Amino acid sequence: MQNMLAVLLQSSPNQSSQPLYADNTSIWAHMSGALHQSLYRVLSLLISILPGILAFLLALAVFTLFGMGVSALLRRGLALIRFDEHLSRTRGNIDWAPSTSPTALIARVSFWGFVLLGLIIGVSAFDASYATATMLPSSLLPYLTRIVGAALLLIAGTLVARFLARSVLIGAVNEQLQYARFLSLGIKWLVLVLTAAMVLDHLQMGGNVVALAFGILFGGIVLTLALAVGLGSRDLVSRSLESRGEHSGERSATPPTAGPGDSIRHF
Amino acid sequence: MATTDPASEITAASVRPGGELLVLLAAMTPEQLERALANLTTSFPAEGVLVASPSALPADSHPPLRIVAAPAANASWTLTAADFASAHQLADKNKAAAILMLGPESGGLAPSAIRALANAVLTAPTDLAVPCYELPPHAGLVNSAILYPLTRALFASRVRFPLAVDLGLSLRMAERLSGAAHRLTMLNQGEAPLWPINEATVAGFTIDQLDVGLLRAQPQPAGPDLSTILPLVAGSLFSDIDAKAAFWQRFRVLPPARNLLSIPEAASTDAAPDIAPMLQTFRLAYSNLYEIWSLVLPPTSLLGLKRLSTTGAADFLMPEPLWARIVFDFLLAHRLRIINRGHLLGALIPLYLAWVASHINITASGIDPESHIEAVAAAFEAEKTYIVSRWRWPDRFNP
Repeated sequence: MQNMLAVLLQSSPNQSSQPLYADNTSIWAHMSGALHQSLYRVLSLLISILPGILAFLLALAVFTLFGMGVSALLRRGLALIRFDEHLSRTRGNIDWAPSTSPTALIARVSFWGFVLLGLIIGVSAFDASYATATMLPSSLLPYLTRIVGAALLLIAGTLVARFLARSVLIGAVNEQLQYARFLSLGIKWLVLVLTAAMVLDHLQMGGNVVALAFGILFGGIVLTLALAVGLGSRDLVSRSLESRGEHSGERSATPPTAGPGDSIRHF
Repeated sequence: MATTDPASEITAASVRPGGELLVLLAAMTPEQLERALANLTTSFPAEGVLVASPSALPADSHPPLRIVAAPAANASWTLTAADFASAHQLADKNKAAAILMLGPESGGLAPSAIRALANAVLTAPTDLAVPCYELPPHAGLVNSAILYPLTRALFASRVRFPLAVDLGLSLRMAERLSGAAHRLTMLNQGEAPLWPINEATVAGFTIDQLDVGLLRAQPQPAGPDLSTILPLVAGSLFSDIDAKAAFWQRFRVLPPARNLLSIPEAASTDAAPDIAPMLQTFRLAYSNLYEIWSLVLPPTSLLGLKRLSTTGAADFLMPEPLWARIVFDFLLAHRLRIINRGHLLGALIPLYLAWVASHINITASGIDPESHIEAVAAAFEAEKTYIVSRWRWPDRFNP
């Protein structure tokens, strides 16, 4: 160590005469070279996948236009042969909303079918060009498909949550449950939490943390609901059980009064 | 629509040549069946009447009646599409001249009433003979609140019980109903109710309504669950109205009014039912279902409901025009599928209970129940322009 220090001290007077910026220029040159190379690589990558992107857009545009044409033709053709009237004559009372007549439905299905076909062909064309673009990070494209799947899961989960929340709310109100809104909200958040956990799991984000957090949240909501319903309806349940015990024999023999009010017959 | 007086005496009908009367009995308990057969024996002492029943019966159990087997049917509180299909099939097979369909409680009908129903279809030109029951007070309220006013306003028919279970049918009426039933069966809705009045009106057939007297017990749904039965019945009627929109949107003259039914004796002695649970349901619904109602009802109706939600039990009265608009708005929402149809009809139940509470309050104040029901039906007629406008241009009138 002492030898090394001696060598450094001896050599330093000679080196101090050299200009300091000579090494700096070299660093800038290296950085510039690295940046140029990176830019070159990215541009090369873009150029290599550009045909794929163009093919994707072209396929989508062509098939969308084609779908529009076929849809319009179907709409006119079916209107010409009075398809809706014929269907209602042969199939009877079908519950078609005005905006979803059979003709409109067929035209829409054909249009979106062509759009979907264009998407599939475009993606496969893009995939072919992607295979040659070896410099693209290998996880990017699969991750995009996961994002699409996660978005679909999120939409479906939100719709299911809304449907179930409304069903529970209406059912609970008709059963005269005072905590109807609370119950409905509980069901809604249960489904939303489940959906969020599924989405994150699908995206492979969070790992064990998501599963753990989901378990805690889900269990917490269920426990809260159980406690709230159990404590809130304790009297109701006991009254119901008592009246069932007393009138179990009578019920089978007498016609039901069908709702609130003792001497009321709704039907 | 012709209307006859209560059948006071049993008279032989001038039977249409070439066939006899087919009586189709609904699925019923052995006691009900025995009473119905005894009633039929009294009603038709001399003529040969063909009786079809899904229950197994000895052929010579009631000598004047000729018993044939009918297809097995589920016990139902109302006539379903499958019942009409099998009625026409049996009539065709046995070359019957007319059909009389009798429900599970038909044993409680007077023999003269059964005879009158049969005579109406056996003697031309009536195609559909419908009974007008005299029910105990506070019975058949769904019919009074929704079915009768809607049918009267949209199909210009004064038939008081559009979903009656005892009917007289001519052959062409049976054929028409069988066709409608066949379409429902194809859609896997064989157990859904069918609406004979609507079918007969659209076809231009003659309808005859006959007073059949007091009926203490009307067939009731098997389950006590109003939240299941009301959506089923209202949904079925709404769908039928939707299918016949081209017909009822045209202006039609209502037949002259018939005499109001007398108040049953029990009305004066029965205490008014407790409306507190119904009001509780309505107020709970107002605080919880307002968001759903606001998707269906215009602001004026919501305002009316807000006022009602703060009204005390003693003064609780739902104005007839408000109820008429509520039903029409729900009918339109059913057609447009604004929300899920199950949710929509579920959200109608607390409003219906509010109407029932109001009806009970009105009748408790001494007003004849039948007068109030007629007033409700008149309000539906007056509001028909509203539903026609909203039906044609739903966006223009969108609340």
